[in-house]
Amino acid sequence: MKQALLKFKNLRFVKTIGFNRIVLILIIFLMYGLFTILTPILHNGTNFVNYNRVMSALNYAYFIGFLGLGVTFVIATGGIDFSIGAVMFCSALISGYCLTKFNMPLWLCLFVSIAVGALFGSVGGYFVAYRHLPSFITSMALMQVAKGIGSIFTKTQSVTWPSNSPATSWYRDMVKWNNLPTGFIILCAVAAVCAIVLYKTTAGRYMLCLGSNKEAVRLSGVDTRKWEMLAYILSGTLAGVAAIFYVGAYTTVQPGLGDTFNNEAIAACVMGGTSMVGGSASILGTVIGAIIVALMQEGILAMGFTISYQYVLTGLIVLGAVTADIMSRRRRN
Amino acid sequence: MNEVILTMEGIDKTFPGVHALDHVSLEVRKGEVHALMGENGAGKSTLMKVLTGIYTKDSGTILYEGREVCYSSPREAQAAGIVIVHQELNMMGHLTVAQNIFVGREFKKGLLIDDARMNEEARKLFQQLNIDIDPRETMSRLTVGKQQMCEIAKAISHEAKVIVFDEPSAALTDSEIDQLFRIIRDLRTKQYGIVYISHRMDEIKKITDRVTVMRDGQTVGTLVTADSSKDDIIHMMVGRVIFEEPKTHSRVPDGAMVVLKVEHLNAGRMVQDVSFELRKGEILGFSGLMGAGRTETARALFGADPKESGDIYINGKKVNIHSPQDAVRAGIGYLSEDRKRYGVVLKKNITENSTLACLQRYIKHGNIIDGVAEREVTQKFVDALKTKTPGIDQMVMNLSGGNQQKVVVAKWLISNCEILIFDEPTRGIDVGAKQEIYELMNRLAQEGKSVLMISSEMPEILRMSDRIIVMCEGKKTAEFDVSEATQEKIMNAATREIAV
Repeated sequence: MKQALLKFKNLRFVKTIGFNRIVLILIIFLMYGLFTILTPILHNGTNFVNYNRVMSALNYAYFIGFLGLGVTFVIATGGIDFSIGAVMFCSALISGYCLTKFNMPLWLCLFVSIAVGALFGSVGGYFVAYRHLPSFITSMALMQVAKGIGSIFTKTQSVTWPSNSPATSWYRDMVKWNNLPTGFIILCAVAAVCAIVLYKTTAGRYMLCLGSNKEAVRLSGVDTRKWEMLAYILSGTLAGVAAIFYVGAYTTVQPGLGDTFNNEAIAACVMGGTSMVGGSASILGTVIGAIIVALMQEGILAMGFTISYQYVLTGLIVLGAVTADIMSRRRRN
Repeated sequence: MNEVILTMEGIDKTFPGVHALDHVSLEVRKGEVHALMGENGAGKSTLMKVLTGIYTKDSGTILYEGREVCYSSPREAQAAGIVIVHQELNMMGHLTVAQNIFVGREFKKGLLIDDARMNEEARKLFQQLNIDIDPRETMSRLTVGKQQMCEIAKAISHEAKVIVFDEPSAALTDSEIDQLFRIIRDLRTKQYGIVYISHRMDEIKKITDRVTVMRDGQTVGTLVTADSSKDDIIHMMVGRVIFEEPKTHSRVPDGAMVVLKVEHLNAGRMVQDVSFELRKGEILGFSGLMGAGRTETARALFGADPKESGDIYINGKKVNIHSPQDAVRAGIGYLSEDRKRYGVVLKKNITENSTLACLQRYIKHGNIIDGVAEREVTQKFVDALKTKTPGIDQMVMNLSGGNQQKVVVAKWLISNCEILIFDEPTRGIDVGAKQEIYELMNRLAQEGKSVLMISSEMPEILRMSDRIIVMCEGKKTAEFDVSEATQEKIMNAATREIAV
């Protein structure tokens, strides 16, 4: 048994994907099976297995996935970004307001959404990389700023994006087209680009290296500040992208919310094998992690629990995943 | 003669690969200031760590007040009355003086801390020592000298009988040193036993009664300070058998081009008006004691730390170096003394480490890393430098010290550096690998690279350098051609009294 496991771990494709990513995929199936069995028992005869539920879970997985991809870069550099949830909502509010109140063209509004995210990322990145502020506190502060600006911009009104006129709601086709999950294809495509950036470009190499030993990288003549800032810009930009997929799925955004989603995105990262101490990160893991988070919330609701259970579980998952990461590192040293 | 308070005899301590203490003996009397001297790495600190229970000895006996003792922690030693005043002060800057002195054993009134009583007790301590410090002052607002006085007061408050001063004067100004000596003399008359570790020859003559010299983990001997000269002590410190033959003459051809010229470099207290030249194919040794400012000079030159003033010329052309990026662009590579912190990225593999300084050269299609080219060049340098590793995908963490050093060398060679700064190139490297690093440095020099080598090991300096610069207290104090350099001359320059 032990030998068989070792042999499996040494298979080429297992090594490329990483053993714990395969475990995570198994966990998705296990969770699905568990919810299928438990939902009818706990929620008087409701059936878990149906196509709409899958689509609903995926809707949740998209924006958590984009947020997670962004923050993966930041965590790779050894930092953290708690602002992404609020930034996502701020982006959605500002661009949505532009669309509904200023009647700006839709393509421009989508661009505004991404630009707002990038701007927040740049500001955070500047303070962390060039002014040497701790990323924790910088992103906490920006979270507040993003929440506030979103509210101020829309005069504390919630914004509902148009959902049925063909001219102004084609953005929804990016999420779901003819009841097919187009969003999943886009998420995978963006994840592929992220993977190339992280593993195959100088930018990604520098980010990962400075996550393990910033001073050694600086003394190698690399402008560490530039690359560290870039990680935050990517994180903000992807929060802007996440905003589009959030409104694409749910259309309505309320001011003053959004900050709970950081934790779920970070949970997706750490579950996927991205180390909180920096230096190693998994893009594939983050995508799988996002799906797990989404499936979990779908299951919790289907079984008749409130969303508060989701918060508890997300918190526990972060604790568990980080503990596992720290312990495995200590063992290897 | 006073009675003996502390005797350490036949103390033996081995670390993996190093015989740190080899039957070392030390005897301290009441009312005596006993100097402990030796080069860096001679074993002084290790001996004191054995005394205070930070390390456990392999064999030997420690007699304290006539009884055999063996402490397992500094706390135990402290409780028995043996305390160290450390070189780096262990103070909490945001607390008050009194809070620092009584940290861990605060006076209490019920559940609350009784600050008034702590201030009162601290005031009494300072009175006893004739020191004028307000116990309510915040620690970080005191000068380093005053902070040290507080450290001494803390030691006294533990009812110490033996106080060890570990290079206490290193960070002090002249007037602060005077005050420190006044206190130490005072403690001597009060019958404390005092161990005084220092490199400064003039201080040893001024303040100590006897001096014990250590070398290579052994006790060389104990002298009465008043009856011995500075030369006697230096001779004891360096008089080892040299198995590594020094270079007899410089191997740099006459008229070799000056590749690096540094003029009037200033960067804080540790780098004061340093000027020197480095020629093509030369190994320029930087000698001096710990804290002489050699690493600081190298870091300022490399742009790792900011410099205040000074001009740097490379191949005769003036260059502005404000960051390591500028330095690397100018063809300078720096191999830090602390490889693990500043040299390698431990958790990345050999390839990633080797190309770190010039990754821009191994890309294709815009910004995508060319994995094949990158691995090819890494493999080439692993072969050329004979780095021992199962493969270039090995994490650097899993390599030995010598092989990690080779990875760093490869990094700079791949980025075409013409000037290499080796800071303590063989620190933490075992004897066999040392030889390899020496051969490598000689080969690099022969191939026309220029090497600036900082080393605290005298034989290493004499064996490797074509020319030697000696630094002391942030200043350049001497420059020798290797043909005229001797250990004594270097040690003299390295301990030159600067404070007059």
